[in-house]
Amino acid sequence: MQMILFDRVTKVYPNQSIALSGLNLHIQPKEFVTIVGSSGAGKSTLIKLLTREESHTSGKIIVGGLDYDTITPKDVPLVRRRIGVVFQDFKLLNNRRVGENVAFALEVSGAKNREIKRAVPKMLQLVGLAAKENVFPHELSGGERQRVAIARALIRQPKILIADEPTGNLDPKNAWEIIELLLKINRFGTTVLLTTHNKEIVNALKRRVITINRGRIIKDEEQGRYTLEAPTNLKGAK
Amino acid sequence: MLQFWRIIQAGGRNFMRNLWLSTAATAVMTVTLTIVVISFISNSALTSTIKGVTDKIDISIYLADTTTKDQTDSFKARLEKDDNVQSVTYKSKAEALADYRKQNAGDTKLLQAINEADNPLPASLQVKTKDPKKLDSITAIVNQSENKALLDPSSPPSYSGDRKATIDKIVRFSNFFKTTGLIMSVIFVIISTLIIFNTIRMAIFTRKDEIEIMKLVGATKWFIRGPFLFEAALYGIIAAFIAAALAYALLLGGGPKLGSYIDVQGTINFFRSYPVVIILAEMIIGVVIGIFSSLLAMTRYLKL
Repeated sequence: MQMILFDRVTKVYPNQSIALSGLNLHIQPKEFVTIVGSSGAGKSTLIKLLTREESHTSGKIIVGGLDYDTITPKDVPLVRRRIGVVFQDFKLLNNRRVGENVAFALEVSGAKNREIKRAVPKMLQLVGLAAKENVFPHELSGGERQRVAIARALIRQPKILIADEPTGNLDPKNAWEIIELLLKINRFGTTVLLTTHNKEIVNALKRRVITINRGRIIKDEEQGRYTLEAPTNLKGAK
Repeated sequence: MLQFWRIIQAGGRNFMRNLWLSTAATAVMTVTLTIVVISFISNSALTSTIKGVTDKIDISIYLADTTTKDQTDSFKARLEKDDNVQSVTYKSKAEALADYRKQNAGDTKLLQAINEADNPLPASLQVKTKDPKKLDSITAIVNQSENKALLDPSSPPSYSGDRKATIDKIVRFSNFFKTTGLIMSVIFVIISTLIIFNTIRMAIFTRKDEIEIMKLVGATKWFIRGPFLFEAALYGIIAAFIAAALAYALLLGGGPKLGSYIDVQGTINFFRSYPVVIILAEMIIGVVIGIFSSLLAMTRYLKL
């Protein structure tokens, strides 16, 4: 079974701009996939479709066995709880402590307090922030904040972790630490979907790289490198 | 249940975090509830005042000493036939004298001036009415020539004159007061709804990012809305206590000054006997206003 399946997915925004056109994408469980492409290529739309911030215009999306055509507005929160998402701007609740931020993801899904008390320190330890549980986000460095976001994304043990430009606001050292953390999470069995503009990271990862341009996949390589153009012999291929 | 408790906690936290906004909203709610409760108080005080005044109304029809028992009985019967008459009792000259003596027990000079042998007090028919505002039909009966002949020429029936005018004044005044109170209550309920609406709207704007994040983390609509609703309900709950205390203080402080004209004791007693009922009723009004206005603000500004 595929973890993520996009079958001829098209997304047209109300202003008639076409963000994705007939996109096909297959991602297996436990894969680590990097998606690259210039701004406006359709990466963000792809992710918004996965988190159901947007719904697709046509085609089929199946994630973890769930057909997105069957989702009602009421189910949207449940869909989001199955997927962990990390953003470039962290999106932490600034008036809550680190531990509370991580706990919030569990509170939302109705976890018991005892469960939360047990899980949060463990997760903070995994991301290397065990000592910062009672600190507010503004007291942390960018890299640390992103770790908090990762901890929050992972605490519900999602099958998929989406990292949308997680290193965009970080210096190279911190960026690498975040990537290493993502690799570690992937080794534990979580499918990781990473989008980035960072060439060095993509080239050093030596993982599957999908290049998107104008709403289509123009390149998909098992041990890809960072390019924004399609290789001449593969133009228009999956 | 757990989720409910978390919503309550979040609402309380938001209340504390925006203390100025919360204070403003609670203050307006307090004013509103105080006006509602004062309108209720004056209503009940005026109603009991009017009842007290009207209960005392006996029309006294004084009879000439020459009136025979038969004449008195037929006069009484004619009065009793009137729809507005509750009861008619006959008070003889001797009874009138006894009452007079009782009323003036301390005044020996007056008592000496009056004695049984030469009793100047007339016998009378004491009429109790159902509606003291409608005395016209009774007046008409009294003024029929066959009845008029029986009256004591020196003391006309006591409904005429000052007393009726005073009663009319009290009735008019209290009706005016009841209407004004009602209108004021409605106006203030609308004002506080608007202010709470705005408070919640501002809270939604200042917490836009937070709401966005909650949505992305998978919070349900009610998990996001709940704290706002509870916050608004909290304004009502706190305001209910303050308003009740305020109204009670006003009643105790202002009551004695009105004491001789208006009967506040009944209302004070009601306050003392049913403080829970009063606070609960105010709370219900406050919570309904709060929740209604915050729901209104949310449907307009909280796109989930």
